[in-house]
Amino acid sequence: MSENIFITDETIAGDDDGPLAGKTVAVKDNISTEGVRTTCGSKMLEEYVPPYDATVVSRLKDAGATIVGKTNMDEFGMGTTTETSFFGSTDNPAAPGHVPGGSSGGSAAAVAADEADLALGSDTGGSIRCPAAFCGVVGIKPTYGLVSRYGLVAYGNSLEQIGPFGSSVEEAASLLDVIAGPDERDATTREPPGGAENDTDGKSYASAADGDVDGLTIGVPTELLEGADEGVVETFWDAIEDLEAQGATYEEVSLPSVEHAVEAYYVIAMSEASSNLARFDGVRYGHAAGEKGENDNWNEAFSQARKEGFGDEVKRRILLGTYALSAGYHDKYYKKAQDARAWVKQDFDEALSEADVLASPTMPVPPFELGESLEDPLTMYLADANTVPVNLANLPAISVPAGETDGLPVGVQLVGPAFGEREIIRAGSALE
Amino acid sequence: MCDGGDWQMAVVQIPLRFTPVGSNRHSMTAQTVQQGDLVTVIGLEVHVQLETDTKIFCRCSTEQTDDPNENVCPVCLGLPGALPVLNEGAVEAAVKIGKAIDAEIPEETRFHRKNYYYPDLPKNFQITQYDEPICQEGELEISVEGERRDVRIERAHLEEDPGSLQHVGGSIDTADYTLVDYNRAGTPLMEIVTAPDFRSASEVRAFLAELEEVLEYLGVFDAGRDGSLRIDANLSIIEGEEADENGEIGIDALEAANRTEVKNISSHKGAEKALAYEETRQKNAIKRGRVVEQETRHWDESRGITVSMRSKEEEKDYRYFEEADLPPLRVSHWKDEISIPELPTARRERFRSEYDLNEEAASKLTSTKQVADFYETIADEFDPDLAATWVADNLLGELNYRDMEITDIEDRLEEVTRLVELVAEDEITAKNARETVLRDMLDDEQDPDSIVEEAGLGKTDDDEVQSAVVEAIEENPDAVEDYESGDDGAINFLVGQVMQKTGGSADPGDVNQLLRAELEK
Repeated sequence: MSENIFITDETIAGDDDGPLAGKTVAVKDNISTEGVRTTCGSKMLEEYVPPYDATVVSRLKDAGATIVGKTNMDEFGMGTTTETSFFGSTDNPAAPGHVPGGSSGGSAAAVAADEADLALGSDTGGSIRCPAAFCGVVGIKPTYGLVSRYGLVAYGNSLEQIGPFGSSVEEAASLLDVIAGPDERDATTREPPGGAENDTDGKSYASAADGDVDGLTIGVPTELLEGADEGVVETFWDAIEDLEAQGATYEEVSLPSVEHAVEAYYVIAMSEASSNLARFDGVRYGHAAGEKGENDNWNEAFSQARKEGFGDEVKRRILLGTYALSAGYHDKYYKKAQDARAWVKQDFDEALSEADVLASPTMPVPPFELGESLEDPLTMYLADANTVPVNLANLPAISVPAGETDGLPVGVQLVGPAFGEREIIRAGSALE
Repeated sequence: MCDGGDWQMAVVQIPLRFTPVGSNRHSMTAQTVQQGDLVTVIGLEVHVQLETDTKIFCRCSTEQTDDPNENVCPVCLGLPGALPVLNEGAVEAAVKIGKAIDAEIPEETRFHRKNYYYPDLPKNFQITQYDEPICQEGELEISVEGERRDVRIERAHLEEDPGSLQHVGGSIDTADYTLVDYNRAGTPLMEIVTAPDFRSASEVRAFLAELEEVLEYLGVFDAGRDGSLRIDANLSIIEGEEADENGEIGIDALEAANRTEVKNISSHKGAEKALAYEETRQKNAIKRGRVVEQETRHWDESRGITVSMRSKEEEKDYRYFEEADLPPLRVSHWKDEISIPELPTARRERFRSEYDLNEEAASKLTSTKQVADFYETIADEFDPDLAATWVADNLLGELNYRDMEITDIEDRLEEVTRLVELVAEDEITAKNARETVLRDMLDDEQDPDSIVEEAGLGKTDDDEVQSAVVEAIEENPDAVEDYESGDDGAINFLVGQVMQKTGGSADPGDVNQLLRAELEK
């Protein structure tokens, strides 16, 4: 395991039978596992052991899966390379010497290195799709509300979903079948509207991976190709041609609002993070500062615990988020970002009224070399240009391997309408 | 927790005095305020714990327990990954309050996060309501010195209670360490914010007493619960000449005046004392030419004074934003679907007209819903006057003497009904019922029939009394003669004789009547 895929190796057995019996699953380390530490890739939670299972973990166990470990990740999901982890970076099994993408880098790498059949990640702004693309595996970011977030340590709670990784679309979809569905512990989960209608041909997402794209209309948002790496764009068009050859048609569509998506995404995600991560103060769990009586007051104790427990990227995002929500700036940043989010949603609605699915390169660039961009947060943020709009719009998206450029994996992202997981699974499976 | 005084929420025109119901409160005459007067202006933020079985965002019990951190779970402890799910019982209670105070209830209501760090706050933010509270612009009618007035309620919103802190080895400043108990964390709270409509501490007390009464009637509040009512009050003193020709004080004058926020008040009696103290303290400062500091003060109940908490209060920025984990809840139809009982003021008036009660009796008999319900049971079965005497005077009097409430004898109300029945049917004398049976019932937990039997208080039956009357007349010809010759006092001697013969169990009034009737024959 030279790639540093797992933060904690731990076998958690599931039920004897079930749809995932005999399957091994790696679980991102921000998903709570009862009795097994859940660090979020942070020193803050280095020794935190949850007393309860996330809903998705209970569902894995019920489905007979065996959990093989908790995977490395960018600290609290804040990164695109898995390099902000307190536990060190993870090497990319599909492109050694390169990052596996992030923030669910360990989960994608586990599947790519065959350390697990399947894996769970979480996606706040691309954290499943980016590592899937970089590691040459399949990753699905479900519609907001399809999968319970109960037990997922929150980063940007209005944006994120737990989703599956697999070595094929069908494999990933079979894991989605197990984790999807309403949960009384997460008030934002919903039954897919017209669910029964969607379920007519077999109820499962896995069964949608039939490769049948005859008559499918693919919309290509031109904005998501601008500024992308040439090799990536070439690989992308090859994939579209492949789909055309199978009976799909494509047309160019426009998402004019996406030029503001990255800014809007970061303002919203950081604002939410500043609040979500406030609970880490060392009182109830997690890294506590100093000995009893060492700090004069709780304010000092809290700030020392946070100073010691959080890494630079986490501190940066908490500070920016706090600023964006502050009196006098709230309207200028947070409120504006919410307006932009509404606009992005509207653009997607319009584009998806013309096309069945939207396609773009998942990442505008191939995997970075390890260490290449750690010092330049802005470049990192911009690499999320194609993935973050989907989170702002609460839509489902899949990243499917589409080939290589200079020996490095390239992924294609397919975006569907809300609860249109079956559409993107079907289209994605045609690329295999 | 509360933000420091939201005067900004006050409407622009602040009435100087309450206006009798039915008249336009904005057309007060200026005569009420004289030049040189100092006018006290008070507004309240009242935190009320709602009585629900479980907490507002999880299924933990709200039961109070001595074991710290007993009723807790990942949600109310704010463990990483835990999510809130709204307890609709708390929303129902809030809608009841909204109906009772005639508030606007929006189409849908949503929650916000109020961000601040404090050790009793598990997530270091509080889930509360911000721009779409469940109740807006209500009012509550109160009665002060016989005059009825409306107090405007600007808003009332739902939120979660934080945990509680126990400072060990000293006060908040001097403790060696502090323990945190999260049992209370997540208890549903309603924060009720009034307009600055109060002009005296006694008005505040009347309001809080009325509010408590209404909340108890609604069945959403338990006044006996420790910490169920917590009050923050903003008080400022305005120069009388700031009033306009209508006797009103504008928002500018109100904002220009320094105010203090008095915290740590936990009862309506405490509120009256704290605010009377604070009013005097500020007025004295002004009279001596000193400036009243704008500050937060802590009501020290044991010393009966307010003390400064922070001299220079920082303006807090709570960075409110929407709680995405709780989808907006549509409540527009709830207002029609949820019914509330008749409220104390209306019931008081109905009691006066329906049962012909005086104001004092009606007021006593509607002081709690349980008392009023019990009165109506008795009044409907027996005689309303008899019922009023028994419930308002005898029962409440004896309970009060024992420091008990009607809720303490909830399971024995049938026995009290039986006692009233014994009196109504002339089985025992009113005096014996009140002075012996009722007291024994409360002290010894016996039922009325066995007390009556054991003490031999049963009224002698009519035949026995009648024969005693005949005997007494036969045995005392002198007294009969005196009576017949016009000495009415002689009848008293004969009554005494009959009472002796019946061992005191006859009713003296009845005996008197029987004797007269017998002598007329």
